[in-house]
Amino acid sequence: MEKVIEKWQDKIGEVVLGATKAPSTSLGAGNGGTRSRTIKIGGETGIYFIKGEDACPNPPVVAMEVWDMEPQAWPETLKAEFGAALNNPVEWAKMCVEKFSADLICLRLASLHPDAKNASGQDAGKTLENVLKAVSVPLIVLGSGSTEKDNEAMVHCAEAARGENCLFGIATQDNYKTLTAACLSGGHSIISEAPIDINIAKQLNILICDMQFPADKIVIHHATGALGYGLEYTYSIMERTRLAGLSGDKMLAMPLINLVGGEVWRTKEAKTGDEVAKDWGAAKDRGALLETATALAYINAGADILVMYHPRAVGETRKVISDLCGR
Amino acid sequence: MKGFNIKFLPEKKSVSVESGTDLLTASIKSGIHIYNSCGGEGVCGRCKVIVKKGKYVTEHSGRISEKERKIGYVLACRTTPESDMEILVPEESRLGDIEVLTQEAKAKRLAGLYTPAEAIEEEHYKTETKVFKHGPLSTKLFLKLSPPSIDDNCGDVERLFREIRKDKNIPVMQMGLANIKRLPRLLRESNWKVTTTLGNRNGTTEVVLIEPGDTSDKNFGIALDIGTTTIVAYLVDLKSQKVLGAKASYNPQVDFGEDVISRIIYAQEGAGLEKLHHAVIDTVNTLIDSLAKEQKLTLDDITAIMCAGNTTMTHLLLKIEPTYIRKDPYIPAVNSMPVIRAAEAGIKVNPRGLLSCLPSIGSYVGGDIVSGVLASGIDNTKDLSLFIDLGTNGEVVLGNKEYFIACSTSAGPCFEGGGLASGIRAMKGAIQSVSVKKDKLAVETIGKAPAKGICGSGAIDGLSVFLQNKIIDRSGRIKDNRISKVKEEDGVKRIVLVEEKNSATGKDIIIDENDIKNIIHSKGAIYTGIEVLLKESGYKKSDLKHVFIAGGLGTALNIRSSINIGLLPDLPEKKFEFLGNTSIAGAKASLLSSEAMDKAYSIANKMTYLDLSTSSSFMNNYSAALFLPHTDIELFPSVKGL
Repeated sequence: MEKVIEKWQDKIGEVVLGATKAPSTSLGAGNGGTRSRTIKIGGETGIYFIKGEDACPNPPVVAMEVWDMEPQAWPETLKAEFGAALNNPVEWAKMCVEKFSADLICLRLASLHPDAKNASGQDAGKTLENVLKAVSVPLIVLGSGSTEKDNEAMVHCAEAARGENCLFGIATQDNYKTLTAACLSGGHSIISEAPIDINIAKQLNILICDMQFPADKIVIHHATGALGYGLEYTYSIMERTRLAGLSGDKMLAMPLINLVGGEVWRTKEAKTGDEVAKDWGAAKDRGALLETATALAYINAGADILVMYHPRAVGETRKVISDLCGR
Repeated sequence: MKGFNIKFLPEKKSVSVESGTDLLTASIKSGIHIYNSCGGEGVCGRCKVIVKKGKYVTEHSGRISEKERKIGYVLACRTTPESDMEILVPEESRLGDIEVLTQEAKAKRLAGLYTPAEAIEEEHYKTETKVFKHGPLSTKLFLKLSPPSIDDNCGDVERLFREIRKDKNIPVMQMGLANIKRLPRLLRESNWKVTTTLGNRNGTTEVVLIEPGDTSDKNFGIALDIGTTTIVAYLVDLKSQKVLGAKASYNPQVDFGEDVISRIIYAQEGAGLEKLHHAVIDTVNTLIDSLAKEQKLTLDDITAIMCAGNTTMTHLLLKIEPTYIRKDPYIPAVNSMPVIRAAEAGIKVNPRGLLSCLPSIGSYVGGDIVSGVLASGIDNTKDLSLFIDLGTNGEVVLGNKEYFIACSTSAGPCFEGGGLASGIRAMKGAIQSVSVKKDKLAVETIGKAPAKGICGSGAIDGLSVFLQNKIIDRSGRIKDNRISKVKEEDGVKRIVLVEEKNSATGKDIIIDENDIKNIIHSKGAIYTGIEVLLKESGYKKSDLKHVFIAGGLGTALNIRSSINIGLLPDLPEKKFEFLGNTSIAGAKASLLSSEAMDKAYSIANKMTYLDLSTSSSFMNNYSAALFLPHTDIELFPSVKGL
């Protein structure tokens, strides 16, 4: 039987994250930062992992999430992987990079939330500076989920990390202006998020670009569902986005990100201990396996960045990526 | 049960109500008309009143700002008295002017609603006489019968029929017993010279009326447009085909809910149907009466009425229960209403005068649309054309002489001024266009009167101007800018079009972000309806030769602005034509010509209804259309560069 190779009209845009000291490099965004290297994502020429269609120019990358305070809701099996570092974002970030080979660090500024520590924007900016000093990989910076606090803090953070080309999140249709302006002034990239709606995703990207924000600094998040918790919805909207992008829709031709860890480790399958769920398999494996399975599904859907928690899941996922992309 | 006395100011009209009665119901009872578009559900926020005296219980509503709450504003429909009360009904909550309370005066106030009667008349008169053969719903014929003799001994009725058939080929004729009983004496007393009125009743001919002598010069008819918001009546000379007068009034059913669904619900409650029926009949009778008086006619001179209305309005006019229109599988009692006597419906003209209604397609595409298609003439050409009615239901019809597909898009009332903070119907003082002059917003009102609010065409124009001048972003959010005054109330940003000191209401005339959202939803619904209709029938927008737009959204519609906001497809402006009220135009044509009425029936027969709720692409296309002009800018190349 003849093998049919789909020829796509367009390719997905490339986004460079991080900035090195080097003045102007082939990676363009290189100058002005202190990273040891930049990371390039996107650039797909077809559907992932179809031989002959997609050359896999920039394999998906794995970011590990680091919090600026100890995550209360994490189960012990997960906490145990990081030990005392959970109380120290700098140590935690170092551990992720040096011990677990994370491609990027995703700093979650959870302490900003009024229900958590209600930390100030200045504090958040300080933490970000410290993490930037401690590790040399590019950074993703996420807020606490409190719109008002995050908006205020992100202005500080974008300034504190000026020139480092971090990936800041999360811009939504109802709240994108402050973050976009902050990223624009600090020279950062941005995550635009729409709740499983391809039209809103596109509209938001248009609105962000209408603020003179470059399209090649946007990464799309379609919300993430854990396996068994609505993954298929996200999966199919990601596929549609990718197909639209490959078919020439510039406002959807952007790399995709999934916040896998945060979703998986909220599920009862990941959190419930051995004493309660005796027939579910060992708790120490269960969560990591669920996280791995979820991450792998998203790689197939076209994810470019996976933000993950468990070191073992990170390792497994990286291995699969390397196998699939033949590197 | 305990009762309270409610006094409405400034009229000082009092009404006593039982405890537990809300103020909106009380106001209806007192004859004070307060705006409300949701049927008293507490949703629309239009029925704001100010409590001056008395104790009450009210539900808090986001529709009332903190500032307003402090000075005693409540929603009439959500407020019940606990003691006697005094209520001030502010200008913006009123349907009519304070001092003007007669129906006639209201009709006068609304005279500016459409193009002046003469202008409409001239325009449509030309096209219709060209197209349709004169043959009105009722015709008067003066007859000189030969008196009977021993050689010519047929009966009086047969004699009459024989004389009629000399002129006309009418094999089957009907005549009521009442007329037959009167005939022998009438013929002899009038010396065998009589005038008969022949009515066209569903293909057969009825001798409706016999009068002594020659009255064949005096035969008049009424064309009616029963709209959800407005009722328009034309007095037409059935012989000369001239329109002698035109009058409009708001549909007082608005008191019971602004859209058809809330009225159907209301009709199910107790005497609801009765009240709705009387509301419309009383208005129709008043309009007819004042038209007749103006021309010094008696009501007996009016022998025929042709009515165009949506399916629900037609049901309510005839007092037919509309309940099943809104219940799955959405079946109306009647689509093609047979011709009846107007008196049976309670309309006061000649007691034997006829009432005919333009046929409906189904529950959500009514006779007003058939009438509009007829008036637009798209059934005469092979060219693929589009007919759009920018009303509350937002019907879209695609087709040519071969077939029609229609859909109904539930666009909402905002093109008629409903659902907007400062929205009013297209009346004198309504802002109908917006522009930027010397870096400031400038507005133009209907009749150049002080601004009272904003109507549909003004809202469309406004949005386009805001977008072009970057006052709003493409999702409709208001940005800080130098051109317009932006205020914020309860966290909602608003653009001030006319400041309080310059407005007729003493309040700022504004468009806020919620209004913009409403307009975006309405325009998105219409656009998606057009898009899905074209797609389902296998056409591209470039296949369209003509696009006709109808509706009472203003005296003019800025086509460029409509394209800019994504209401209308991006086509050359010359393909578009704004027709105004096509429902009344089609009714008039059908009143004057049985050929036109036949055409209306053939249009109805050729029309298929596409239910958008079952169309898989509708929802996705709809959410893509909720952006300015559209999520896919490639669909609007002419707007791209702006």
